[in-house]
Amino acid sequence: MGAGVASGAGETMEGSLFDASTLAGLREMFARWRARHLAPDHDRRTTAAGIPVEPVYGPADVADLDYGRDLGLPGEPPFTRGVHPTMYRQRAWTMRPLAGYGTPEDTNERLRYLLRQGATGLNITFDYPTLRGYDSDAPEARAEAGLGGVAIDCLDDVARLFAGIPLDGVSVSLVTCNPGMAIIAMAMYVATARGAGVSPDRLAGTCQNDFLMECAVTTAPEPLAPQASFRLSCDTVEYCLRHLPRWNPISFVGYNLEEAGATAVQEVGFVFAHARAVVRELERRGLGVDQVAPRLSFFFSAGNDFFEHVAKYRAARRMWCRMMREEFGAQDPRAWALRFHVQTSGVALTAQQPEVNIVRSAYHALAAVLGGAQSLHVSAYDEALGLPTEETITLALRTQQVLLGESNVTATVDPLGGGYYVERLTDEVEARAWEFVRSVEAQGGIVAATERGWVHAELARSAFEYQMGVKEGRIEVVGVNRFVGPDQPRRVFVQPPAAPRQSERLRAWREARDGDAVKGALDRLEGVLRAGGNAFPAVLEAVEAGATLGEVHRRFRETLGVWAMPLLGG
Amino acid sequence: MKALVAILGLDSHWRGSVMVARVLKDAGLEVVYLGNQFPEQLVASALQEDPAVIAVSSLSGSHRVLVPELMRLLRARGVQAPVLVGGAIPPQDVPALREAGVAEVFGPGRPLDDLTAFARDLAATERVRSSR
Repeated sequence: MGAGVASGAGETMEGSLFDASTLAGLREMFARWRARHLAPDHDRRTTAAGIPVEPVYGPADVADLDYGRDLGLPGEPPFTRGVHPTMYRQRAWTMRPLAGYGTPEDTNERLRYLLRQGATGLNITFDYPTLRGYDSDAPEARAEAGLGGVAIDCLDDVARLFAGIPLDGVSVSLVTCNPGMAIIAMAMYVATARGAGVSPDRLAGTCQNDFLMECAVTTAPEPLAPQASFRLSCDTVEYCLRHLPRWNPISFVGYNLEEAGATAVQEVGFVFAHARAVVRELERRGLGVDQVAPRLSFFFSAGNDFFEHVAKYRAARRMWCRMMREEFGAQDPRAWALRFHVQTSGVALTAQQPEVNIVRSAYHALAAVLGGAQSLHVSAYDEALGLPTEETITLALRTQQVLLGESNVTATVDPLGGGYYVERLTDEVEARAWEFVRSVEAQGGIVAATERGWVHAELARSAFEYQMGVKEGRIEVVGVNRFVGPDQPRRVFVQPPAAPRQSERLRAWREARDGDAVKGALDRLEGVLRAGGNAFPAVLEAVEAGATLGEVHRRFRETLGVWAMPLLGG
Repeated sequence: MKALVAILGLDSHWRGSVMVARVLKDAGLEVVYLGNQFPEQLVASALQEDPAVIAVSSLSGSHRVLVPELMRLLRARGVQAPVLVGGAIPPQDVPALREAGVAEVFGPGRPLDDLTAFARDLAATERVRSSR
C-alpha cells in the first residue's frame, strides 16, 4: 500500500480566481440579498465545532483563494483535493469492516466471512485485557476476556487468528490502540509472518500504536505513563521503518478523540501536535523526515456535521503538506501526502430506533468518500447495543459497496472542490486547527499536555458541552430528544467468552515452553527498557521464546511504572 | 452527601461516567471520581468514604461478572449505599442485576435527567433520615 503519489512538485499559478470589479459587483448583490431576506437579528448557525455558517456563500467568500497555493491538483501539493491523481477512478478506498471477539478462532471465522462478502482489507480489534496487557487467565481479565475484540495471549494465537489468510495477500489493520501492547502484538505479528515464510518487507498494513489512546482517550486501572507509552510507540515506529517498508507503524487517532468529545478542530489539532512530536523524536533517533513521514498514517472520524467533516479532511491534507515541507523541510513528495482511514462515528448512533443508524452511517460514509479517505469502516446499526452481528456488519459493508458501485460520486476527484462553502469551511478548520496545535505546543508539546491531564480534560469539556446541548434540545437527536417512539427488544450479539478456552491453551503453552529461556529473555528486555534502547528486538526475542503478552506487559509496568492518571473530579 | 463514581474493570470508556459525575455534582453531591476499579478496590473506597450512593459504569460487558461480585462484597462488608449501574446494559441483563441488589440500572439512552431526579430523591431521603 504505497503512497502512490506522483513525484514532482506540481505546477503552481499565482493570482486570484476572480476579476476585482466583478467581485465588487457580486459583493453588492449579496449585500442587497441579505438586506431583502435577512433580519438584522437573524438566527445564527454554526458547525458542530462552533464555526459560524452563513445562510449563503458566494464568490466573495473565496476571493482570497489562490488555486495553486491552496488547492492544487489531485496527487500534487498541497494535496487539498486528494493524495492520488485519479483517486477512486483508479483504485477504490479499502473497505475495512472491523472484526474482533472471543478467541482467535472466533475472529478468524468472522475475518474470512468478511473477505467472502467483499471486504478488501482486514481491521482487527483486541479485547480489553489484551489492550491493557493481561493474559486471558489473569484475575484482571475475569470479566472481559474475549469482549470488545479478540483475546491474544501467546504467539500461536496470532497464527490461529490468521489461519487460511495469506499475510502477504491482504492489507491488515491491527487496532492495537495502546503502544504498550502494540509493540508486543507487532512483534508477534512479525514472528508469525516469519514462521509462515513471509518476509517482513511483504507485510502491508497498519498498527494503531497511539500513546494518546493509552493515556488520554481511554482509562485503565494500571496505565503506563505518557513518556513510557510514547517511547514504546516510537520504538515500534522505528523498528518498522527499518524492517517493514510497506507497513504503517502508527495511525494517529483522531476518531477516538472525537468519540470521546473532541470537535473536528481539536481532532485535527491533537493529531497534528502528536505527529510533530513523533517526527521530532524519530529525527532524534537518526531517521530523517523523508524516511519517516511517508509511513505515518491517520485515522479520522466521519460524523454528523457533513460538510465540516469533508472540510476537515481537506484541511488536514493541506496542513500536513505545508507542515512537512515548510517546517520540517521534507523533500520527498510522499512525505507531504496525508493518508487516512475513516470510521463512521459510533457515538452519533443511538440505542433507540437503531435502524435509523443505517441512515446516519450512510451519510457519514458519504462524507468520508467525498473527503477522499483511503480506507473506511462503516459502523453497524447495532453499535449502541453491542458488537456487530454478521447481519449488521454485512449491511455496513454493503453501504460502502453501494457508495462505490452505484452513486457515481467516484467518477471525479474531489467533487465538492470549488464549492464556496466547502472551500471557506476548509480554510476555517485549518486556521482553527493551527491555533489549537499552537495551544498544545505552548504547554510543552503533546506528551507534556497529556501528563498534566490537559488532553483528557479538554475532551471531557467538549463532551459535556455536547451532552448539555442534547439535554437542552439545542442538538437534535432523532429518536432520543425528537420523534421519540417505543422500542422493541433487540437481538444483541453475544460475544463468546474466551477465558475458558484461552486459559486451557495458556496452561498447555506454559508447560510446553522453556521457562528459563522465557525468563532470560524477559530479563534482557528489562535491561533494554532501563537502558533506554529500542525495546522491539527484545520483545520479539521474548515472544519467540514463548513469553505471553501479559508477561511482557507486566515487565513494562514493573520496569517503567504505572501512572497515576490525573482524573476528573466531580 | 457523597457519591462514588467508578468504571468497572478494564473498560476503557469514561465519557458516560464523567457525565454522571457532573450531574451528581450539579445535584449537590460531593463526588469522588475513582476511575477504573475492580470490586475489591471499590469496596475499600466505599468503606473509607462512606458514600450515600455508588455509581458504576460499564460499556465493555464487564457488568455481568463484576456487578454481582461487587454486590456480594459490599453486602459482606456491610455497605448499605444504593448502587446504580449505567452503560451498555442490554435490557435482558437488568433482572439479574436487580436480583443482585442493584438499586437502579441506567441503560443506553436513559436521560441524564432521570439520574438527577434519583439523586435529588436520595438527597431528600438522606435529609429526612439524618434529621431524625
